[in-house]
Amino acid sequence: MAKYINIKSIALLSVATALTLGSCGDDEPEVNVPVTYEFLRDGASTVSFTGQTTRILMAEELSAAMKDLSQSATGLQELFANENATGGDVSPFSDTDLNASTKSIRSKVAASKDLFSTNTAETATIKTQIDQWIAAQAGEVFLNKEELAEAGKAGQIADGTSTRYISAKGLEYNQAVTKSLIGALMADQILNNYLSTAVLDEASNIADNDAGTVADGKAYTNMEHKWDEAYGYLFGKSSSTASPLVDLGADNFLNKYLSRVEGDDDFAGIAQEIFDAFKEGRAAIVSGAYETRDKQGDIIKEKISDVIGIRAVYYLQQGKKAIEAEDFGGAFHDLSEGFGFVYSLRFTRDEGSNNSKFSGSEVESYTSQLLEGNGFWDVTPSTLDAISESIAEKFDFTVAEAAE
Amino acid sequence: MKGIITSFLVVVFVFATQSCADKEPIGPESPTDSFDRGALLTDIADNVIIPGYTRYATDVTNLDLIANIFANNPTTDGLFQTKIDFRKAYLTWQSVSIFEIGKAESLALRNNTNIFPANVSEIEENIAIGDYNLVLPSKVDEQGFPALDYLLYGTAESESEVVEYFINNDNAKKYLTDLTSRLTSLANEVRDDWTNGYRESFIENDGSSATSSLNKLVNDYLFYYEKFLRAGKVGIPAGVFSGNPLPNKVEGLYSETNSKLLFLAGLDASKEFFLGSSSYNDEIGESLKSYIDYLDQDDNNLSGRILAQFEVIQSKANGLEDNFVQQIEMDNVKMLETYDELQKNVVLLKVDMLQTLNIKVDFVDTDGD
Repeated sequence: MAKYINIKSIALLSVATALTLGSCGDDEPEVNVPVTYEFLRDGASTVSFTGQTTRILMAEELSAAMKDLSQSATGLQELFANENATGGDVSPFSDTDLNASTKSIRSKVAASKDLFSTNTAETATIKTQIDQWIAAQAGEVFLNKEELAEAGKAGQIADGTSTRYISAKGLEYNQAVTKSLIGALMADQILNNYLSTAVLDEASNIADNDAGTVADGKAYTNMEHKWDEAYGYLFGKSSSTASPLVDLGADNFLNKYLSRVEGDDDFAGIAQEIFDAFKEGRAAIVSGAYETRDKQGDIIKEKISDVIGIRAVYYLQQGKKAIEAEDFGGAFHDLSEGFGFVYSLRFTRDEGSNNSKFSGSEVESYTSQLLEGNGFWDVTPSTLDAISESIAEKFDFTVAEAAE
Repeated sequence: MKGIITSFLVVVFVFATQSCADKEPIGPESPTDSFDRGALLTDIADNVIIPGYTRYATDVTNLDLIANIFANNPTTDGLFQTKIDFRKAYLTWQSVSIFEIGKAESLALRNNTNIFPANVSEIEENIAIGDYNLVLPSKVDEQGFPALDYLLYGTAESESEVVEYFINNDNAKKYLTDLTSRLTSLANEVRDDWTNGYRESFIENDGSSATSSLNKLVNDYLFYYEKFLRAGKVGIPAGVFSGNPLPNKVEGLYSETNSKLLFLAGLDASKEFFLGSSSYNDEIGESLKSYIDYLDQDDNNLSGRILAQFEVIQSKANGLEDNFVQQIEMDNVKMLETYDELQKNVVLLKVDMLQTLNIKVDFVDTDGD
């Protein structure tokens, strides 16, 4: 083990040396990276991402309601869309601030500039898919809440001392929705929208940022704000927005699963790397150092994509283990979480290109293999291994590293 | 640049050779483990598990009989008899709760027998409506011993009022006997499975893979010890996981006198599992203890330390009130100290013992969603 660490650190050293040499003679302005994510203009903070916090809170309420057996399809859909079927205003949330908001989860699903601005047909397919899972949670699963589930029949199944409510194919729609939003809402908005040069450099953003021209009535420039909005989808519920790693796991979405991946020895340090990249990239914007900004953006794109890939493989492998132990309740729960992370792969980012690591049809091939026939009741360990391998191939981690 | 790369390579080479030379072997050269796992499995099956289930099935059958007599004609004497058999069966249950393997696992026996606290509002609703499906996983906290504990002790203040409650409530009579009859049929099913073939396949599965009998059973043992004995019976009510004590989460809440006895029975069962028949028989069979002693070539006396810790826990627990509710309210520190002693054996069992046996933990804490 020791020798691998040495080789790796030497390799890093040489890369660092090469980078240092390479950046000599470059005329990027100097970047002063602060210790925490705090940026001021004339003494006032320029960091703001309330809209992202709002959507995370909305998603938390939807996620909790998906487990409330008394909910109706209409009630759940209103939490998702924050409007009724005819587009009228509704007040579905328990938090009155959320009801007052005109924002919604649904409007930002599969809505990034890079992946979907000229691909609205796929956006519609994805939104409709999530609509259908939400409707089926009430119409299929809650309807059968007093039935014992079996292959082809929705109902209850025991998972340890927990009771899970599953579809006829063994899928917990609440997990499918929650874990899919990690990709379709959070990752898509961060990686493919707010960290996109098309968004950061939109209109006169560069000139404004260079001149320190702030947005109307705000303390921040447009570009600064876009970057912070990316940050907000990951750290919007953290108790300290300046030092958000102190309570990693602050939400039930991307932040929570970054904390899970951080907890795996194979990937420890990833949370710090992501935070540092956010911080340095933001400092680079303040200095007008756009190459540095984009380099940090690429790090974030890579690492957040890793989080989704690692968790997808992790849950498929945990599900496989449970199937082998004939623990179906446990297996279906893992596979339901895994299913959502697999769905989220569509929203990862192949850094250095304008595309996802996974096409829509690749992801669909995985999900249809998982749900074929009676779905999780039928799926075999070899299918789960094959999908896991196929996913891991696109990343720099192995199935074994992600599996435990 | 080329020179730099070459010197890096040299450095890498030096590091690589160095780390090879420095490499310590991992533990002593372990001999091929030729311990007779089959003998251990035979001992635990024939001397602990099967006799345990046989006693348990007998005790719940008796409880079912006496509960039916009481339900047919509720009297104070009948209630008294039912309570005696209830306590007897509940204590015997503690001796088999560990063995969630085979039929017990597929039936989720423990979940259907002893999830506490009982969900009183659901129980009352079931009785009021007179219609319920106890097979559903969502109903686990509406049945079993905790639900019986409520019916026999918690439905009214005094014994005579409890008798009155049953006299005036046919649905409650039926619920009582539905619970005892379900406990009985589950117990019989598990015992019968052991005596009709499962014993043999259990013993034959004597390898060391993750799905071998011993690896699974040892994991079941640790899971029981950690979640049910340590957390369920002591840690949760003492507030270890919540910050505040939760006395209404003790086992045997309504009978008010059984919580310590139930805990001690579970503790005994944990020790007995470790010792196998050697806990009461001079003619010693193979056990976890003897397996550890066999592997413990450095003379770490691991088994001795585990057994000594069981003694410490026992003496700590002996100083507790019979009713843990009273103990928690009077002096919760003693409960916490008992928990701490239990926790010390988690470390010895889960870390040291599993390392020695080369068995991997197959359960993790779920993330609660």
